[in-house]
Order: sequence, then C-alpha cells, then structure tokens
Amino acid sequence: MPLFKAEKKPPKGPAGRWDVVVGEEMCKACGFCLHICPVDVFAWRKAPNRIGWFPMYTAHEENCIGCMLCYQICPDFCIDVSVKGAA
Amino acid sequence: MSTLEIGVKETLVAPWPEWARRATRGRRLLEAGTYALTEGAIAAGCRVFAGYPITPATDIAEYMSKRLPQVGGYYVQCEDELAGMHACAGASLGGLKAMTATSGPGFTLMHDAYGWAITNEIPLVVVDAMRVGPISGITGAPGQGEFYIARYASHGGNFETIVLSPSSVQEAFWLTIDAFNLAERFRTPVTILTDQVISDMWEDLFVPEDYDALDFVVPRRHNLMMPFYPVGSADLDVPPNVIGHGTGVCVSAYTHTEEGYDIEEMEAQWAQTYRLINKIRHHRDQLTRYETVGVEDAEVIAVAYGANARTVKTGVLEARRRGVRAGFVRLITLWPFPDELFARDLPYVVCELNYDGQLVREVMRSAPDGRTVRFMGKSAELHTVAEVAAGLEGVARNGRVPELPYIWTEVR
Amino acid sequence: MNKLAKKYLRPSQIPTKACHGCGIGMIENWLLQAIDEMGLKQDDVIFGTGIGCVGRQTFATWGGDNFGATHGRALAVATGLKLAQPDKKYLIVVGDGDAASIGTSHLIHAARRNLGVTVICEDNMGYESTGGQFSPTTPAGYVTNSSPYGMVEPGFDPCDVVKAAGATFVAETTATQWHQTVKIVKKALANDGFSFVHVRFPCNENFGAYALGTRDTLKNLEWIYEHTQGRKADGTETDFTWETGIKHDASNSRPEFSKVLRDMNARVRADLAARAGT
Repeated sequence: MPLFKAEKKPPKGPAGRWDVVVGEEMCKACGFCLHICPVDVFAWRKAPNRIGWFPMYTAHEENCIGCMLCYQICPDFCIDVSVKGAA
Repeated sequence: MSTLEIGVKETLVAPWPEWARRATRGRRLLEAGTYALTEGAIAAGCRVFAGYPITPATDIAEYMSKRLPQVGGYYVQCEDELAGMHACAGASLGGLKAMTATSGPGFTLMHDAYGWAITNEIPLVVVDAMRVGPISGITGAPGQGEFYIARYASHGGNFETIVLSPSSVQEAFWLTIDAFNLAERFRTPVTILTDQVISDMWEDLFVPEDYDALDFVVPRRHNLMMPFYPVGSADLDVPPNVIGHGTGVCVSAYTHTEEGYDIEEMEAQWAQTYRLINKIRHHRDQLTRYETVGVEDAEVIAVAYGANARTVKTGVLEARRRGVRAGFVRLITLWPFPDELFARDLPYVVCELNYDGQLVREVMRSAPDGRTVRFMGKSAELHTVAEVAAGLEGVARNGRVPELPYIWTEVR
Repeated sequence: MNKLAKKYLRPSQIPTKACHGCGIGMIENWLLQAIDEMGLKQDDVIFGTGIGCVGRQTFATWGGDNFGATHGRALAVATGLKLAQPDKKYLIVVGDGDAASIGTSHLIHAARRNLGVTVICEDNMGYESTGGQFSPTTPAGYVTNSSPYGMVEPGFDPCDVVKAAGATFVAETTATQWHQTVKIVKKALANDGFSFVHVRFPCNENFGAYALGTRDTLKNLEWIYEHTQGRKADGTETDFTWETGIKHDASNSRPEFSKVLRDMNARVRADLAARAGT
C-alpha cells in the first residue's frame, strides 16, 4: 500500500464537523496534504501567494473526517484542523 | 642589578598596582605561574573550566579540577579543545564565567569556537601557554609564535581581539582578573598569551584573603532585553546575553540582527562589523597596559613581552651600566597593538622568541621609520643578558645588531 | 500557522527557509506536539542546532532561547550550558553531518557522560545545503553529487554508536511515522539523561534529485515510506529497510552528568566545611 493513494473515497463516517484552515501565505505547495487526504478536502489555488507558490486551500471542508493526516504531514505549520465551533 | 641602582625611571601602566594597594590582607606563597593563573581566575569569579590537557598548560587544568568544586564550580575534561572552548562558551551563555587553557596545538583547534564567541560577544578567557613550534615542537621550551594567531584567532576577518601577556607569576594573577574584567566589559573572549617559562616558573605570589571582597572584579550581569546585539554601536558595558532566562535570545554562527536572527544582507553585515571592531578600537585607551624603563632619555629602546622581557629588562640595565642610554618597553596588551608607544623616532630593538619575526613587524609598522627597527630573534630559549646588552650597544654605537650565535636579525 | 506553532514558534521566522516538501518542518511540528503533550512551556526548553539544512532551517524558529552552534559543536556548547542551566530541557536538533560526521566525538562523549539533552538527529542522508554530497548515513551505492559512481564507502548507524557509548535512550523513526515520533520524543524528553532520536526525512532538491532521480515531493516521501515498511507499493521488497522504533531504553538508569558534578561539589564542600569546623 503506498502512502499516497491515487483515489479519493467519499467520506464514510461522520463528516463536516471540522474546521480546516490552511495558512495560505506560508504554504510552499508540496502537495502532501492534498495527496494524504483520504477524502477530498484540498485543492490548488490558481494564484500564487506572497512567497511565490500556488498554495493549497480548503475546497471541500464538508468532506473532512478529522483524521488529522494533513496536519501531521504539513511541513510548513500551515494546517489546523479543529472541531467546528471549538475555537 | 635593579632600576634603583642604575637610576632610571620605571613606569607600569596597568590597573593592578592600585588593586594591590587595596587588597592588603592575604597570603604570600611560593607558587607556579599556572597556580597564579588558576587562582586569578577563581578570584575573578570563574566557575567553569572546560579544556583538554596539554603541556605546559596541564597544571591549570589540574589546579582547576581541585579548586572549582571547592567554590561551587565545574571542571569538565573535554574530548578535545574544540569541545573545551565551545563548552566554556556554552557555560558563559548560561551565566557562569568560564575559562579554558591550552598550548599552541590546542589553540589552533579553538579557532572554531573563537569565531563563534567573538561574533556572539560571549565573555570568556583563554590561556595559551606558548611553546616553541611549529606544531608540537618541543613541549618543554618557550616560544612566542602565537602573536599573530592570537590576533587573527578566527577566519573571515572583521573583528578585533584583546590579547594580554604577563611576565611574572604575580602579574599572571592580577592579569587574569583583568582579563575577566575586560571580557565582561567588552563582551568578547580575551586571550592570555603566556609561555612555558611563565607557566612553569615558581616565584613569590601574593594572593588576597577574601575573593568575595575584591571590589574591582566586574561581576557577571545578564542582558534580559532587546537589543541582544547592539549592532552599529561601540558601547561598552552592555551586559552579556544569557540563555535560560526566557529572554528569547538567539545565538548563532551567522551574521545577525539585533535579535540574533540570521540575515544575509550587507547592511546587517556592516552593522555587525562596526560593533565587533569599534567596541574595541574606540576604547583602546582603556585597554593599553605596558611597562617602560628609562625611555625618557633613551637613544635606543628594547621591546619585548612575556618571559623573555625579564632577561631583556636586565639586559637594558646592563647596557645602561656600559654607558648606553637604553630604554625598555614591555608590552602587556599585545592586541589591540599599542602603536602610540612607538611614536618616537628612535632605533627599536625587538627581542622575541621566534626566528620568523612577528612582534617586530608590528613595531616596524608603527614606528615613524621602519628601517630603524632591529630584530633579535631567538628560538626555544630566553635571550641572555649579555646578548641583549651587546645588541643594544651595537645598535647605539654602530647602528646595527652585532653578529651573535643563535640570534637571528633578518626579518625579510 | 497551526495552534502549536503559534504557541511555541516565532511568527517572524515562519515560513522557514526550508525548500518545499522538506521534512524538517514536519519533524519540528511533531516535536511541538511532544513538547505540548508533556506540558512544557517555551521557557522550559532550550533549542540548540548546528549548521547545514537542519541547523539553518530550524534556527530561531523556536520561540524561547535558541542557539545555533558552529558545525558539529551543538553538543559541546550544550555541555557547558547544561552546567549553568541544569533545570532546562534541551532539544538539540542537528543533521547527519553534525551528529554523525563532524561532531561525532562530541556525540559519543555526551552519550558517555549521560549529558541530559535530547538529540534529534534529522537525517536527510547527505550534505544537502552544500548541494548534495554523501554523508556517513548515505545508503551504500546511492549516487550523490560527490559519489557520481555510487557511494562506495560503508555507512554507519549513529544509533549503534551512541548506544555503545552509553546513551540511555536510543530510537529511530522516519518522516512517515508521526505518531511514533511524537511518542518516542516524549519518552526521550522524559529521560533525565542522554536521549538520541534518529529521524530520516526526504530531501527533494538534492538527495531526491540525484540519488532517486526525481524532485517530486510525493515520490521522495513515498520512497521514505517504502523503506520504512520494507515493501514497495507493488508488493516487492525494497533494497534495504530501516529498523525503526525504540532501540534501547534505559531511561533514568544512570545519573545525569551535571547532577554528578553538582553532587561531587556538594560532597567536596561538605568535607571542607567539616575540616574547617574541627
């Protein structure tokens, strides 16, 4: 089994309870979050950020199942996942 | 033969004659130079020694291993000199005064840490007991080969250093306290260039009774707020930075900003260089320590430092007895180099313990006419009184140092 | 910035100078999780680094006190610092060059003394900030910029070295083992002695480009994952496998170095006082 799965699955369990915030200004567009995400939450921006990368953004927050993989794998401290309303 | 008998004036410009007048209660001992260096450090508040044994500085490590635990300090025998000086720098950053001691081969290894300590303005004292080289040379013979290395103790340039050199056991004690004071005030490593003779020599030594009562010792202070690095300023007495007090200080090997962040901009480099150079250059008047004998009416002046200054001084007095109006300059502060001592247009005879000529080049540079500067180099052995007197006599009467066995006069 | 980064790091130093897809930030994020779960504050931890990718990219990111030593000497500096500030936790984050090459002697002797620091050796299997030369941890046979015909020198495992030298906690993980790394770093920080955690992570710009033939961040992290599992995506075995996990745990079995010295001082001073009294 590879680390990055090619296909996204529809969320099985409870979804849509999480806030997914991407700090787009410090994203270096490595693509780890997009590809580690088992469902379909992230997408590329079409415009570059201040440091010259086309950053990731939260395209489908309603799909998030709160697995935190994107938070763990982000090398630039960009992603925060928290229960909606908790903050 | 004393200066009194000969009737010449003797001047010592240094802070310790005043200290000696103030600290009257104490013990008189017969002790070695290494002991005096150790006790001086302890008196100055040194609480960490990290180093690696090397002849002729080993005794400092041994004395320290005995003395430091008694005063609540720490002795660390490191895996090499690189680790030794870095550990001292670490301890100093943690808020303790620290010292290390070595000889030429270890001194070379310490240059890594020197640059780090200089850039980060870490107060430290390094004793280098010079022996004849290159490299291991003869471990039990004195040398003066680290005159320039101690000045240029790191690569990359853009810094000034403070280097002091004692020439007696008693002076080694006071000078070590002075070195710690200068390190604290200038926020920089201070090098004590001693040599095998001064380190191993036994002499009478006065040690004050109560070190805590020495009010001339500059205590360790802590810099608890920004700016951590006053780049662009030549101010003295900025408290040293401290790690572990939650100030958020950053200490690194890179060119830094006021906060200590690494930066790759020329303006930051210029500001840092201004600080590192001018904090010393602008306060040279507070750094110059020297001794002179009979320079007022001199027709020829002998120049020396460290161990061989002892025989050279007697040689000058012998030359006086023979009717030559000889003077004597003994440098205690080697760096920043005291150019002003060589302002008079006179023949200078520079006596030092190497054949390549190091101190002589600086005297040539600072004297009004470099061509009048003569070199009397000797290797691995002190100059004899007869040699010095003959040299001075030759320069005064014939304008040149006569040919003497084991004395080199060629610089170029 | 995520919550932990806001709590512990310096906003002015984020984003770091790291290349995109570099594993250094990932590992630092896990370190923050371990620190947070242990309830440590910014002021409780002193963050030390060396030179190279790991030194440069992590230096000054930590919000508390930082030092970035000369190449390889972070542990030598920490030895002195620990004497002056014995109650702090030390996180010494160094690269494979710092730990396994130029600073090996300091690593070995810090382990021998049981110096109370936690060394995180972040290993990108080469000298990447100078453009990708091989290091003592580059896998045998791999092409780098200074081993164009394949790395012919045998490498060594720094974990074995520090264990032999007397480290009281030794572990190895890779950049695809976030939960394990957090757990292991917590154990390492809890050990009042010398802890060594070896974490391998991908370099895209140099090791990836020359040894693995791609700058694709996903492929390079996938390569780390495969060699952690020992199996490629298609089920075939990899050319070698890293043994990860805790390799040696003798936490708190030996007295810590600065404590040994402090105890000796107390003994010496008590003897002195007793002799002065008689």
